[in-house]
Order: sequence, then structure tokens, then C-alpha cells
Amino acid sequence: MTVSRSRSSSVTGVSHQLRLVARLDRVRLPLWVLGLGGTIAVSALAVPPLYDTPEKVAGYARVVGTSPVSHLMSGRQAGIDSLGGIVANEISQFAQLGVCLMVAFLVVRHTRAEEESGRAELLRSTVLGRHAATVAGLAYGVLAAVLIAAVTTVSMLSVGLPVAGSLTYGAGLALLGVVHTAVTLVAVQLSSTARGALGLAGAVIALGYVVRGVGAVQDNALVWASPFGWAQRMDAFGGEQWWPALLLLAATALLLAASGWLMTRRDFGGGVLAARPGRPTARRGLATPFGLSARLRRGTALGWAVGLTLLGALYGAVVPSIPELVESNPEMADVVGAAAGGEALVDAFLAYIFLFMAVVSCGFAVSAVLRLRAEEEAGRAELVLGTPVRRSAWLGATAAFTFLVTAVLTVLMGAGLAVGYALGSGDWEHLTGHVGGQVAYLPGTLVVGAVAVALHGAVPRAGALAWALLAYVAVQVMLGELLGLPDWAEAVSPYSHLAEVPRESWEAWPSLALVVVAAALTAAGIAGFRRRDIASG
Amino acid sequence: MAVIELQDVVKTFGATRALDHLDMSVVEGEVHGFLGPNGAGKSTAIRVLLGLLRTDSGTVRLLGGDPWRDAAPLHRRLAYVPGDVSLWPNLTGGEVIDVLARMRGGLDEARRSSLLERFELDPTKKARSYSKGNRQKVALVAALASRVDLYLFDEPTSGLDPLMEAEFQAAVRELREEGATVLLSSHILAEVEALADRVSIIRAGRVVQSGTLADLRHVTRTTVVAQTARPAAGIADLPGVHDLEVVDDRISMAVDSDQLEHVVAVLSGLGVRSLVAHPPTLEELFLRQYGEDVQV
Ligand SMILES: Nc1ncnc2c1ncn2[C@@H]1O[C@H](COP(=O)(O)OP(=O)(O)OP(=O)(O)O)[C@@H](O)[C@H]1O
Ligand SMILES: [Mg+2]
Repeated sequence: MTVSRSRSSSVTGVSHQLRLVARLDRVRLPLWVLGLGGTIAVSALAVPPLYDTPEKVAGYARVVGTSPVSHLMSGRQAGIDSLGGIVANEISQFAQLGVCLMVAFLVVRHTRAEEESGRAELLRSTVLGRHAATVAGLAYGVLAAVLIAAVTTVSMLSVGLPVAGSLTYGAGLALLGVVHTAVTLVAVQLSSTARGALGLAGAVIALGYVVRGVGAVQDNALVWASPFGWAQRMDAFGGEQWWPALLLLAATALLLAASGWLMTRRDFGGGVLAARPGRPTARRGLATPFGLSARLRRGTALGWAVGLTLLGALYGAVVPSIPELVESNPEMADVVGAAAGGEALVDAFLAYIFLFMAVVSCGFAVSAVLRLRAEEEAGRAELVLGTPVRRSAWLGATAAFTFLVTAVLTVLMGAGLAVGYALGSGDWEHLTGHVGGQVAYLPGTLVVGAVAVALHGAVPRAGALAWALLAYVAVQVMLGELLGLPDWAEAVSPYSHLAEVPRESWEAWPSLALVVVAAALTAAGIAGFRRRDIASG
Repeated sequence: MAVIELQDVVKTFGATRALDHLDMSVVEGEVHGFLGPNGAGKSTAIRVLLGLLRTDSGTVRLLGGDPWRDAAPLHRRLAYVPGDVSLWPNLTGGEVIDVLARMRGGLDEARRSSLLERFELDPTKKARSYSKGNRQKVALVAALASRVDLYLFDEPTSGLDPLMEAEFQAAVRELREEGATVLLSSHILAEVEALADRVSIIRAGRVVQSGTLADLRHVTRTTVVAQTARPAAGIADLPGVHDLEVVDDRISMAVDSDQLEHVVAVLSGLGVRSLVAHPPTLEELFLRQYGEDVQV
């Protein structure tokens, strides 16, 4: 008997794999395109009516085009003195981060997560090449990124923006997604868990984003250290240039080669790091609901702590340069109020950064709570609840740990920002003020986390709605007025009820009210959890 | 005294009726085998007993309490091993054992270490690096190391090798000697045959048969193979004779246990040359119960 080797290669079966992905995600992918692409399109369509005269366009270029917040969040957009540049600048933050996160989620889901669950093992036992899953992941990531980019370009064209600029912008966005698809494909080789891979990819995305922002504020070569910078320097709407696309493609090729190389060097189901033996017995504190909850999340919590502290520090380091920027730009000072001058601008900047970082930290809160869902589906909640541990204690301990860490993260972000500021300015006086400013936004974050607790407790299948709420809040923060949401829709975001510290002064009542809401939601979640069936393994 | 008492219990999942007026009882100090085809509702029943699922109707008593309402205090007195054990991948086996046993209210250190030895389990390995059988052993040790009144085992030995299977059987016997009650759901008939005092067979959410193995055998058929001097005419018409096959002078048939005496008498009238009769093996018993509708 001979085994036919003729058509068998390391990518055999890619088409089967892709068909499976298409079947599994026949709802998920359209939802991403609709949600992410739709929001981008709505925003793009909302911009032109706001800037319908040359004066308004010039005003935008003068104010926003020189604003450090805008530079930090969206980089320096080419052609900012034209409608195309304005549209690009307005949607960039959301569109770029959105595309990167989307490909990370989708690619991990179909590579490492499948492998971790053991489902991929079934597949690999069929006629499927070693690299088939990776190639399918690449194709899928590219497809998703191209779809979002296409929606973006079409919506730009539909409001009459220049063709060359619209195409270049879309191409930059798609390539950014492609690079991060490749980044994710490396991450899934390095980490043996889906969660770890997602964390790694997320960290690379965040780093690239922050580096581009800091480079843009300081207007230096740092922007060239980030894929976000490369995509932006294709200069859509401002004398398009295509050669930065080569950087994106070259990086993609290198990352893919690295991913393929790592793949051939590790075991199926394994990571690059080998497992070490651990303790033969448990520490005293581990055998409590809180201890176990904490242990299961400590790695994630540590990762977030490091990441958010650095994020705060990077943003803080930028702040001292703001007054100089204003002095060099008298018109800007006019807009923000001559009297207050630099200080008012700094406060507005800080208010935005605090809010932005608070929303980012919601990611920890929601993921830490919803991890319970995975625990339950894997049948591990059953193991714990088969002991005398009360349901209220199990959910309550997780909520308590999550809220505690969220508070610590908030303080760390504030402290990071304060230290970054102090290092940049040599002025160490604002330390407590900055920490306090960040803490002022904590009640909003707690409410988002508590919504996750309530959903998981009462309607576990709807747990993902907590992510939807977070996405909604993030959209509101990034796109702001552009969406033209009615007041009640604005009010869905808990942060909308808080004073914009330090631009506005802190108010006790709204903060207290949100803390009460968070407590009530948590209580509701626990009450629901005591009443429902526990899912099985 | 009944340690477990299920009366008229119904549990539905949407359109699926997993438990359909289930009645069952397990008395103190017995090892109760729990058998039934895939999807019959065994795991569902056990999860109802753990208070993880809320029943639609019927009464459930466990150790004298209501498992839904008094879940936590009752769990102090029981230990549970699921059939498909998922462990926290980044905890070691030793840590998992301690976490579960201590949450249950404490563990017997001497028993823990002797069980680790008996089951040849390395407690320093991370759970993600255990083989399936070893994962199963972690859950078994965690349960067996606790001294409780009731043990609920849902296919506890899936994935264990024969030596470990024997070790498990020995451990269950020791539990019984100590006076503990065991509910053992299993597809391994030899295991049930070796351990169970009584069994309940469940199909499509109801108990179709319950009793000691001897009882069950009694209501079923005995296989009879005989060679007779004279042709075995008329045997087919006797009451209680089924599946009759005649090849030359050799006949084989299944005989209802209560008609056995009469059939044997007729056979001896034909001049028996050889006679083999064996009660149904558990396997035959189950094939019958699983496969067709049963009239008890
Ligand atoms: N959470 C659930 N949602 C919907 N249906 C369920 C759920 N859990 C169990 N079922 C259904 O209830 C029935 C009984 O399932 P159960 O797991 O109790 O069977 P089992 O006797 O343990 O089978 P096996 O021998 O395969 O373990 C099955 O039809 C199953 O599909
Ligand atoms: Mg089962």
C-alpha cells in the first residue's frame, strides 16, 4: 500500500478550514462589519455637514489640527485643511483601533482558542496541513480588514471626498489590519492559551498606538516606529504616497515567517514556554472563593497593571509640552480662552485622557467577570459549587476581586500619569491631583463591571452584552458629538453623569449615585445567580 | 433511611424533557448503581441532586434536606466527581485537590497522601499537562480524601486504566465499609456488577427498573442451551419461551425466569444429553432494557 503524497503539503485543507470558519462565523463577521463598519460610515457621513464653509474647515485645521489631544489620539493627519483630512482625522482613532482589535479577536478565535479547546485536534487528525489553520487565520483576518476598509472607502466616496484620498485611506486601514493579523498569528504561537495570545496581541496594538500618538505630539521620528504611523504616513488626502505601504507589507511578511517558523518548532497544543512543576499542595488562602478567583485572574490583572501604568506614564509625559504648543499658536489660545491659556488646555487634555483610560480599564473589569462564563461552561463552576461554597460567595468573591483590582488599576493609571508628567516637567507637585483625577472616573468603570456581574448572574447567555455596553461607551468617547446621539442615548454611558475632572470640578452626588447603582447591579446579579441553573461541562 | 429520594421529578430544557417523572431512592449505606443509555438523564439527575439545576416539579430530598435550597450546608456532607473533569489549567493537581477538599470543609491529610500513592498521581504537575486519566484521578482523590456521608460519582472511571479501575473499586468498598452511601453512574457494567448493592436503570428520563441485581435477573430471561435425545417438538409453544433456535439436536432459547422450572421439566422428558443454563449477564440485561420498551 502506498500513501499518496502528491497533493499533500503543509497547507493542505485550507479551503476546508476556511469553509468551517465561514460557517462558524456566519453571524459574527457580518456583525463586526455592521457594527464597526457601520459606525465608521455613520461618523464619516456626519462630518461634512459640520464643515460646510471654507471658514469652518480652516477653523478645524487651526484648532483641532494643532491640538495635542488630537495628535495623541489620532496622530497628525495629512490634509487636515481639507474636508477629506477632517473626516479621516475624526474617524481614525476608532477605525484604526477597531480594525486591529477585530482581527486580533477573530484570528485568536480560530487558531489558538480552537487548539486550546481540543477541537482543532479533531481537525488536525483529518487531512489538514500543519500550517492550514494559520493560513486560514491569515485569510480570514485579511478578509475582515478589507471589508471594513471597503465600507470606509465607500462611505468617504459617497460624501464626495477625493477618490485618491479615499482609496489611500482605505488601503492604509486594511494594511494596518493585515499587519496586526500577522502580529496575532505570532502571538498565538507564543502563548499556549487564547487569553494569553489575545493579551499579547492587544499589548502590541496598544504599544503601536501609543508610540504613534506620542511621536505625533512631539512631532518626531517616533511615529515611524509604529505601524499606525506607517498607515497614517500614506498621507491620504494630503499628497498621497504609497511607499509606506511597503513597510506594512514587509512587516507582515516578516511576522508571518516568524509565525510559521514558531509553528514548526512547537508541539500541537503547546506554547513556546514549557510547563514547570508547581506546588504539591495549595496555600491556605487558595481554598476560598476569593482566593481562587484571585488566583485565576492574577496573571491577567498583572498584565493590565503593567500596561495601564505605562499607558498613563506615556500620556503624562506628553502633558508638560502642551502650554508651549499653545504659546506657539495664538489662535488656539483664543479658542480655549486667553485668560486660562495653557492651563485650560491642559485640563481639557487631562479630562479626556482620564476618561479614555478609564474606558480602557473597563476591559479588565468586563473580562474578569465574564471569565465566570467560561468557567461555568467548562464545568469548573460545578466543581466549586458541588462543595459547600455558596453561590452568592462564588459570584460575590469574583465581583469583589474585580472591583478591587479595577480600583487599584485606576490608582496606577493616575500614578503613572503623574510620574510621567513629573519626569517630563520636573514638577512633582501634581501627584495627588492626577491620581485623584483618575479616581474621579472610577464609579463609571465600576458600573460597567457591575453590569457584567448582573448579566452573568441573571441572564448568562446575554453576558456578552457587557462587551456591547463597553463598545458603546468607547464609541461615544472616541467619536463624541459626531454621532449626534440624543440625550437619553448619551446617558447610557455611566461616564456621562460624572463631572469632567479636572476641566469641571468634582461632584460628590453623581459619583455616589453611580457607586450605589453598581452595588445594586451586583446585588441583582447575585440574586439572579442564586435562582438559575448552572451550565454543565 | 433514604439518603436520596426523588419523587415524580420533571426537568425540561426547552423542548427536551431530560427527567420525566423520575422516581428513585437510594438508602443509607448502599452502593447504588445508576445505569442508562446516553442521554437518558443520569447526569441531569445528579446535577439536580447537587442543586445545580432547578426542577420543574416533583420533590427531591438529599440527606434529609432540599438540595436546591440548602445546597451549601448539604455539600459539606457529600463529594462529587464528574465524568469529564475540567481543571484550572494553571493550578497544579495538588492545589486543585486541596482547593476542592478544603472548600468542602477539610481533608484527611493521611488519606490524601495514601490516595496519591495508590493512584500514582504526581501532584506537582500543572493541570493542563495531565493526561485525561490523570485529570480524572485528581477529581477522584479530591473526593475520596474527604470523609463525607455521600459520594456522587458520574462516570468516575472514564479514562482510567484497568489497574486504576481496580484501585477505584477497592476505594469504593472501603467507603462502604465505613458506612458511606455511594451513587455510581457508569457505563462499565463490570464495575457496577462488582460494586453495586442495588441498581436503577433509567431511560428517557424515567426509571424503568430498580432493585438488586438478583431481582433484576429474576424478572428477565435465562438463556438455555440443550441437546436432547428426541426432537424438541412443541417447545416453541410453551409459555415463556423466546428466540428459539433448533440446529439438529441442539436447541437454544431464552426463557422467562418464572417459567424456567416448567421448561426444564419438559426438556428432561425429551432426554437431556447436555444442558447449559445461565442467568442473563448484566450486559444482556442492559441490552434488553436499553433497547426496547420495558414492562416491569
Ligand atoms: N443544559 C442542557 N440544555 C439542553 N438539554 C440538555 C442540557 N443538559 C442535558 N440536556 C439533555 O437532557 C438529556 C439528558 O442528558 P444527560 O446529560 O442527563 O444524559 P446522561 O444520562 O448523563 O447521558 P450520558 O450517558 O451520555 O452521560 C439529553 O437529551 C440532553 O441532551
Ligand atoms: Mg452523563
